[in-house]
Amino acid sequence: MNDENELKLRSSLMVSFGTQPRSRSILGMVGIALKMLMGDPVKYFGLVFGIGFSTLLMSQQASIFVGLLTWGANPVLDVRQAQVWVMDPRVKQPDQGQAISDQSLYRVRSVDGVAWAVPYARSAATVKTMQGNIAAVTLVGVDNQSMVGLPEENLANSMSAIRGRNAAILDGNTQHLIWADGRDPIGQVVEINDNRVVVTGLTSSLTNFSGLPTLYMKYSDAIAITPPERNKLSFVLVEPKPGVTPEDLAERISEVTGLKALTRQQFAAAGTQFIIENTGIPISFGAAIGLGILVAVVITALTLAMFVAENLKNFGALKAIGVTNRQILVMVLSQALLVGFIGYGIGIGGTAAFLYFGQADPSLRGFKALGEIVGGSALLVMIIVLGSAYVSVRKVLKLDPAIVFRG
Amino acid sequence: MTLISPQAALIDQVTKEFPSGNDVIQVLHGISLGIDYGKMTMLVGPSGCGKTTVLSILSGTLSATSGTVTVMKKRLDRLKNDDLVRFRRRKIGFIFQQYNLIPTLNVAENAAIPLIADGVAWEDALNQSGRMLDHLGLGPHKAKYPRQLSGGQQQRVAIARALSHNPALVVCDEPTAALDAASGQAVMALLEEAADDPNRAVLVVTHDDRIFSFADRIVRMEDGRVIDDGLTQPLPPKGLRR
Ligand SMILES: Nc1ncnc2c1ncn2[C@@H]1O[C@H](COP(=O)(O)OP(=O)(O)OP(=O)(O)O)[C@@H](O)[C@H]1O
Ligand SMILES: [Mg+2]
Repeated sequence: MNDENELKLRSSLMVSFGTQPRSRSILGMVGIALKMLMGDPVKYFGLVFGIGFSTLLMSQQASIFVGLLTWGANPVLDVRQAQVWVMDPRVKQPDQGQAISDQSLYRVRSVDGVAWAVPYARSAATVKTMQGNIAAVTLVGVDNQSMVGLPEENLANSMSAIRGRNAAILDGNTQHLIWADGRDPIGQVVEINDNRVVVTGLTSSLTNFSGLPTLYMKYSDAIAITPPERNKLSFVLVEPKPGVTPEDLAERISEVTGLKALTRQQFAAAGTQFIIENTGIPISFGAAIGLGILVAVVITALTLAMFVAENLKNFGALKAIGVTNRQILVMVLSQALLVGFIGYGIGIGGTAAFLYFGQADPSLRGFKALGEIVGGSALLVMIIVLGSAYVSVRKVLKLDPAIVFRG
Repeated sequence: MTLISPQAALIDQVTKEFPSGNDVIQVLHGISLGIDYGKMTMLVGPSGCGKTTVLSILSGTLSATSGTVTVMKKRLDRLKNDDLVRFRRRKIGFIFQQYNLIPTLNVAENAAIPLIADGVAWEDALNQSGRMLDHLGLGPHKAKYPRQLSGGQQQRVAIARALSHNPALVVCDEPTAALDAASGQAVMALLEEAADDPNRAVLVVTHDDRIFSFADRIVRMEDGRVIDDGLTQPLPPKGLRR
C-alpha cells in the first residue's frame, strides 16, 4: 500500500471511531462491565480502597524515604555559593568533621583555576541557656568576610547580624529545641564551652539528618570557642574561575593538595549515600513499600478473582448470547482500570494531603512527592490491576459457553 | 422437499463424544433433525438422553464430533470461532433454565445486551428492548433489578433479551423448570406467540409435561437417538389434562 492510501485509510478509521458498530460495541460492553462491578459495592469499594490504601502506603513511604535521604545532603545544599568542597580524604559525609591543617586553605587558594576559597568549620557543640537548659547544636563557622556558608542566597543581609564579637545566627526552624517556651531567640545569651554567645539573627536551614539546631558564627569566633583539641578547619569551600568546571577544578585540587575535593553535587550525593549504606532506613522503608505492593496485589488479585468467579455463570451466558472473548477481555480490563484509576487517585491524593499538611511539622518540612514517585506508583498500580485482571479473566476466556446450559 | 418445510436449522448425522478419563463416552449417535420456521418444536426425553447437547450443537455453542450443522443456510461447523459468536449474537435467541440475568443491570439493560454487544448505540438498544418489554407486559418493571422480580417475570425478561434483536432461531433449555405452573404457562404463551412468526423457529428442550400442549411438534429422544418425531399433537388437548 502506498503512503497516500495508507493515510486515507488511517484518517477514515479515525473519523469513524466511535460510530462504527465494532468500536461502539466495545464501548457498550465497557458500560455494562462498569455497571456490573459498581453494582457490587462490597467488591467495588474493597478494590478501590485496597488500591487506594496501598497507593498511599507506597507513595507516602517513598516520599518520606526520599525526604530522609535528602537530609544527608542538606548541609551541603545549604551552602549556596561554593561549587567545590575540599576535605580530609577520610571524610564521607558533611557531618563527619575531620580537621585539616590551616595551611590547606592557602594551598587550595594557590591551585590554578580557583576564583576564591574560604574556610568552613562544622562541629558538634552544646549550648547552655540562661534558663539552665542544655541543648546539642551543630556549630558552623563561616568566612568572616564573605559569610559563605550561611544558608542564604543573599549574604549581605546577614553580615551586619554577626559583625559583633561572639554573635550568632540561629536556624529559626529548630529554635524550639533550645527554647521550648517559644520565646524570641533574638537577644538571648547562651554559653558554649564557657563562652557567652548572643543570638543576633535568624535564618532558615534545610533539615539535616541529626535534626539538631544549627548555630552560625564568624569563622574566627567559632574556632576561638572550640576546644583546642577539637576540629578547627573542617572544609575549604571553593568557587572556580569562569570557564573552569567544578569537576575539573575538584580533580586538580586533589592532585595538587592530596586532599579530597568533591563538587557540590558529588558531596551532596555522598551525604545521601552515607544514609543508604549506614542506616536501617532503606530496609524499613523498603519493607513498608513492599507491604504496600503486597497489599495491592493480594487485594486486587483476590477481589477481582472472586468477582469473576461469582460472575462466571453470567459471563458464560454472555458468551453464549454472543459476546466475544475480546469484548470480555475489554470488560474485565476496564473494570480493573476503573478501580485502579479511582483507587490510585485516592491514594496519591492522600499522600499529597499528608505532605501538604506535614509542611507545618519541622520533621516533614521540605518533603515532596517527586514526579518519579507519582509516576512510579501509577505504573505499579496499573501493572498490578491489569495483571490481576488478566489472571482472573483467563478463566472466562477459556470458559465453554455451553456450561450455561448445565445446572 | 425443502419447499414444503423450510427449515431454520438442520443437523445431519451428528455425533458427539465427551472425554471421560482416558475413555470417551458417546452421547449422540448420528442424530439428524430439522427445525422448522413458524413452529414450536419440543425436544423431550429422559434425563441424560442428550437433549441439551443437541440444543447446544444446534445453536453453535458446542461443536459436534462429526456431522453437519446448518443454521439459516450457514454451516456452523465451518465457521471460525469469532464468526460463530457473531452469528449467535445476531441470529439466535437464548433462554436458559436459570434465566441468567445479570443481577447488577436493570431489566431494560439486561434485555438490551445482545443489541449492545452488537454495536447498537446504548439509547437505541434500550428503546428497542423497551418496546419488547412493553410487549411482554414488563413495561412497568424496566428500571427494576432482577432480584425485585418473581421467577416468572425474570424468565419473561430473559425472553425479551432473547427476542430483542429479532432472531430467526430461539432455543430454550427447560424454560419452565424453575417456575410454578401458572408462570410456566405464561412464559410458554409468549414463546408460542414468538413461534407464530413465519420467519422464526423456536426449539424448546423440556421434560415438563405440563407444557407439551404448546408444541407444534414433539421430538422424542432416548439415549442419544431420536425415537419418535411426532409432527402432529401426540397428546390430548390442554383441557383434558391435569
Ligand atoms: N461437558 C460434558 N462432559 C462430559 N459429559 C457430558 C458433558 N455434557 C454432557 N455430558 C453427558 O452427556 C449426556 C447427555 O447430557 P445432556 O445434558 O445433553 O442430557 P439432557 O437430555 O439434557 O439431560 P437433562 O434432562 O438431565 O438435562 C449425559 O450423560 C451427560 O452426563
Ligand atoms: Mg438438559
